[in-house]
Amino acid sequence: MKIRFYKISVLVFLVLSLAACRKESLVAEDTNPNQRICKTYLDQFEAVWQGMNQGYTFWGVDTVDWDERYAKYQPIFAAFDSRSYVSEYEYQSAYEGLFEGLVDHHLMGIFYSPKGRMTAYVSPGRNDYFHTTSAFFERQKELEALQDRRDLVYYCGCDPEDYGSFSIPGTYFALLKGKTADQRIAYFRFTNFYLNNIYHYKDIIPNSVSAQAALRAFYGPRYWEGITTGAGYANNDSVMGIIIDLRGNGGGSTGDLGPFIASLSQGANMVGYTRVKDGIGRLDYSPWSPYTIYAPSNRLNKEKPIVVLSDINSVSCAELATMLIKNLPNGTFIGERTYGAIGALLPQSEQCHDYFYSGCMGYYELYENGSDYFRYKDIFPYYIYTSTFHMVDKDYQPVEGVGVQPDYEILFNRDRLVNDGKDIQLENAIYFIKNGRVIN
Amino acid sequence: MIWRRAWLGAIFNVMKRLFICLLLAVATLGGANAQVTPKEEVDLSNIRKPHFNIGIIGGFDRNYHITDVSYMTDYQYSKYAPGSTYGIQLGFTPVNWLTLRLDGVMVQKNYYRSHVISSTHQSFPDTTTNQYINVPLALQLNVGKLVKLHAFGGGYVGYWLSSHRVGRSMGVFGNPEYDTYIDFDSPESQLRDNRLDWGFTYGAGLSTVLFKHLQIGAEIRWYYGMMDIQKPYMQNLNPRYNTTMAIQGGVSYWL
Repeated sequence: MKIRFYKISVLVFLVLSLAACRKESLVAEDTNPNQRICKTYLDQFEAVWQGMNQGYTFWGVDTVDWDERYAKYQPIFAAFDSRSYVSEYEYQSAYEGLFEGLVDHHLMGIFYSPKGRMTAYVSPGRNDYFHTTSAFFERQKELEALQDRRDLVYYCGCDPEDYGSFSIPGTYFALLKGKTADQRIAYFRFTNFYLNNIYHYKDIIPNSVSAQAALRAFYGPRYWEGITTGAGYANNDSVMGIIIDLRGNGGGSTGDLGPFIASLSQGANMVGYTRVKDGIGRLDYSPWSPYTIYAPSNRLNKEKPIVVLSDINSVSCAELATMLIKNLPNGTFIGERTYGAIGALLPQSEQCHDYFYSGCMGYYELYENGSDYFRYKDIFPYYIYTSTFHMVDKDYQPVEGVGVQPDYEILFNRDRLVNDGKDIQLENAIYFIKNGRVIN
Repeated sequence: MIWRRAWLGAIFNVMKRLFICLLLAVATLGGANAQVTPKEEVDLSNIRKPHFNIGIIGGFDRNYHITDVSYMTDYQYSKYAPGSTYGIQLGFTPVNWLTLRLDGVMVQKNYYRSHVISSTHQSFPDTTTNQYINVPLALQLNVGKLVKLHAFGGGYVGYWLSSHRVGRSMGVFGNPEYDTYIDFDSPESQLRDNRLDWGFTYGAGLSTVLFKHLQIGAEIRWYYGMMDIQKPYMQNLNPRYNTTMAIQGGVSYWL
């Protein structure tokens, strides 16, 4: 019996001793990179690298080897600490190299140096769809081309002094003659979606020039009634078709999509699927969730042809709006491929990285107020603006860095616009509403 | 995804059928034996001869998912999560005090994880049901006669068959619920998920012999996983291990 118990003891000992061979946890720094105070270049690099390593939402599709970037740039930042002088060019180049090629087209980083009061700025989104695009000057020309049209019946837009910080024509609305004398085409141009969800912020709208302009354009001068009674002028019986012009629209709040865009649909609009980071590993994700934008009760009361005009400068929320309209049975997308920054985000890092350990991180104040040595001298912060959500389309195909593809590709034609006063993209949209096809 | 569920369903069906067939076979043989010799006493001298045994086992398990959440302190894994286990067992007993065991068992290695945002108290629960097939090989030491005590130790190899997640995540509008299986064929999963498993197994139990050839028993056993369930696809990867405790009963027939 003693021999048997001896054997059992040896067996148990062997099992337990071998079982102690599991790997240890490898995360060296045990504080949230979103909250680290960076006293050295290397501190800042480690916080940025680990924050991106764990919180960047596109590792599932990104082709950048982030471990290779660590091996390459960690010695460079460590060397910065041992040197008496680091030039702004070197500091900028190091961060540009670290972020180069990442697929997130929202991605932007601001870094404040521990020495020398330097600021580095990176925005690695690639524009691989090269052609001439409209800028501020051309945007004014597009408005003039609309106002000079012979078939223009009515125009409503904000005054030039109300253009705001964008220094470009804001949201405006026009009625154009339709196929017959009594028909009209309703044209809406939204230059941004910064209305911050009009249903929840009614109190601030009277003080918001852009919100008033957009509401006035969409719902008419008596816009308060419009919000609750219908999808603006689009619901007028004489309107035979609708053009939503989102060219140059830099995006904004997804809360605006319901009242302004989804109100042109007849119900729920599933534009794709989203997921969020869900663990410390690069490939730890939540499952995909449907991304549905619901039409409010004041929706369009009958189906009419809708054309969305977008271009390479249509970004983020404007791309979602483009996808939504393109997916409608009566929707058509004319123009150019959109920019490809579609992953939604919350800019406040304390609402992203502290809550969900993903998305925007660092000192949001740096983004809001700009660099200020005395404000940040004891922190040496950084701020990274990056998507909270990884989004794919309805067929699980990538959209980030790819954009939304038009049904009819009509590229921006600067020569015709500047020399002849013809907005070719708009001409095609109007022609399509009237004839069901674009101009040959 | 649908064909994957069908494939897994087919495996489970085969296992269930095998389980039922074995149950019927053991019951029939045991019953027949009992009918022939209803009052025959168990001849303990028989069990000292070298013999094989085949049987079925099943029971409940508790999986302890071991990982380090690091600074992500709003994520909490439950200490353990319940599951079930069932399968077949084979044994060879050359001498009365020693048995070589080879089992083939389905083991659930489940875990609960909660993500409650400390400042807003928003809750994002996640329940993951993982189905593994384990093949443990162990040496078992036996003591006793009518009621035998046994303890065993050895190793196992396993394979991750399916992973079913139910929970809620953050969405752009609202927090949608999900109920989905991991697609192990996706490039992302192939890079991340380590489906092979190995580790140690050990435990102890009681058994007794009925009707000369029929043995029933109960035991507690552990599967101590040595394989990270993630492949080493990145640096600074926190490993994730499973330790599973099973309480199971079994019936086996001595050939």
